[in-house]
Amino acid sequence: MKRIIIFTFLVSSFLANAQDNLLNLLGGDDEPMYISYHFKGTKVVNGQSVELPANGVLQFTIQHRFGTLNSGFYNLYGLDNSQVRLGFDYGIKDFVSLGFGRSSTTKTIDANAKIRIKRQCKGSVEFPYGIVVNSAVFVKQWKYAAAQEDNFLFSNQLSFANQLLIARKINRDLTLQITPTMVHYNLVDTKDQANDKYSLGFGGRKKLTKRVTINIEYFYQLTEKTNNNVLSLGFDIETGGHVFQLHLSNSSAMTAPAFITKTTGDWLNGDIYFGFNISRVFTIKN
Amino acid sequence: MMVQRIISFLFLLFCINVNAQQYLAKNGVITFFSDAPMEDIAAENKKVSAVYDASTNELVFQLNITDFIFNDPLMQEHFNENYLESDVYPKSTFVGKVVTIEDGKATVEGSLAMHGKTNKIKVNGSLLYNKKSVVISAEFTVKLEDYNIDIPKIVMYKIAEEIEIKVNIKLNKI
Repeated sequence: MKRIIIFTFLVSSFLANAQDNLLNLLGGDDEPMYISYHFKGTKVVNGQSVELPANGVLQFTIQHRFGTLNSGFYNLYGLDNSQVRLGFDYGIKDFVSLGFGRSSTTKTIDANAKIRIKRQCKGSVEFPYGIVVNSAVFVKQWKYAAAQEDNFLFSNQLSFANQLLIARKINRDLTLQITPTMVHYNLVDTKDQANDKYSLGFGGRKKLTKRVTINIEYFYQLTEKTNNNVLSLGFDIETGGHVFQLHLSNSSAMTAPAFITKTTGDWLNGDIYFGFNISRVFTIKN
Repeated sequence: MMVQRIISFLFLLFCINVNAQQYLAKNGVITFFSDAPMEDIAAENKKVSAVYDASTNELVFQLNITDFIFNDPLMQEHFNENYLESDVYPKSTFVGKVVTIEDGKATVEGSLAMHGKTNKIKVNGSLLYNKKSVVISAEFTVKLEDYNIDIPKIVMYKIAEEIEIKVNIKLNKI
C-alpha cells in the first residue's frame, strides 16, 4: 500500500513537470551552430577578410586613397592626389565569390576568387576558426607601343597573391584574423629580388557599437625586408545597405602585391594616407 | 503480490498514456512580416519544432532564430546581428496551453520568450485533429518594444513597430 502511495506521488510530480518535459522532448540541437559575421566588410582595411558576399549578392565597392597627410596645405594634406579602385564581387555559391576590379594609379586589373573551406561553429560540432582561401591575379596594363617591342611578354605583366585567411570571432565584438600570404611576381625589378615574397598578415575588428567597428591590419614581411611593413587603421560604419570604411595607412595601394610588398611610407615620418571604401550590395538572385 | 501487480499495471498504463496523447513536429513553419512605409520585410523559418499534449492541452514551440531565412541576405545579417542578437539569444520558445477549443477554433495562452524577454500572450487560431496528426495554424502580432528590440530612429520608417506572425504546423502522433 505504501508503495502505491509513493508511486502516486511520483506520477503527480511527473505531471507537474510535464510542460518542462514537453520542451525536453523537443531535444537539443543536432545541428551545429555556425558563427557568422566576423567582419562588416569583405575587407579588413586593404586586405581581404573572411567575409564573402552571400550567394546571389553583387557587391560594388568604390575605394579611394589620397596622398600623404604630411604633404602640406599646398596639396590639401593629400586630398589633391586621389586614386580609385572600382570593384565588383559576386557570390556564386554560399562559399565561393568571384571579384573583379581596376585601380587607377597603378593601371592594374585584378580578379580573385575566395572560397570558404571551413566555418567557425559550436554546439554539436565545434570548430574554432573560419577559414577562407583567397587567390588573386593582377594584370598591369601596357601601352600599345610597349607591346610592339621584341621583348614584350604578356606574362611579364602578371603578378599573383595567394592567401589563407584564418579568423576567429572571440566574442560578439572581437574578431581576430591571421593571414599567411604569398605574393608572386612573374617579373621583378632587379635580379637579386625573389619572385616569391612571403608575409604574414594580422587583422582584427572590435565593435564600438552595433553598427560601428574599429579595425586594425598589419602585414609583416617574412622574407624580403626591402619595403616597410604595412599598418592600417580603419573604421567601419554600417548604414543599412552600405558599409563605409574610413582608414589611415602607410600604404596608398589597394591591390595586394602593391600594398604588401611595395610600401615605402613610414608612419613615424608622417607618410600616412587617408582613404575610404564604400560598398553597396545588390541582391541579384534569391 | 497484489501490490506489485497493481504497480506494474499502473506503470504500463502510465507509459501508454504518455505516448498516446502527444503530438510532435520538427518541421513546422513560422513566417513573419513587417509592413513599413519604405520596405517590406519577410522571413520564413521551416525548422520549428513543437509538441502538443492532448491529455493536458499543453503546447510548446521552439525555434532557432538563425533558421529564419530572408530573401535579402543583408537583412538576415542585420536581423541576427543588430536586432534579435541571435548569438546571445539563439532560441525563441513558447510554452502554453490550449484554453478553449470548439469546432477546431482554439485559443492558446502562454509565455512567448525571445531576445531575453518573456511575455504572456493569447492567440486565436485553429487546431484540427486528423487521425494521426494535429494541424495548428494561427496569426498574431508582436510588438518589438515588448521584446526589447530597439530600432534606431534612422531606420524606423523601414521597420514596422508591430510584426505579423503566421504559424502553420502539422504535428504527428508519437
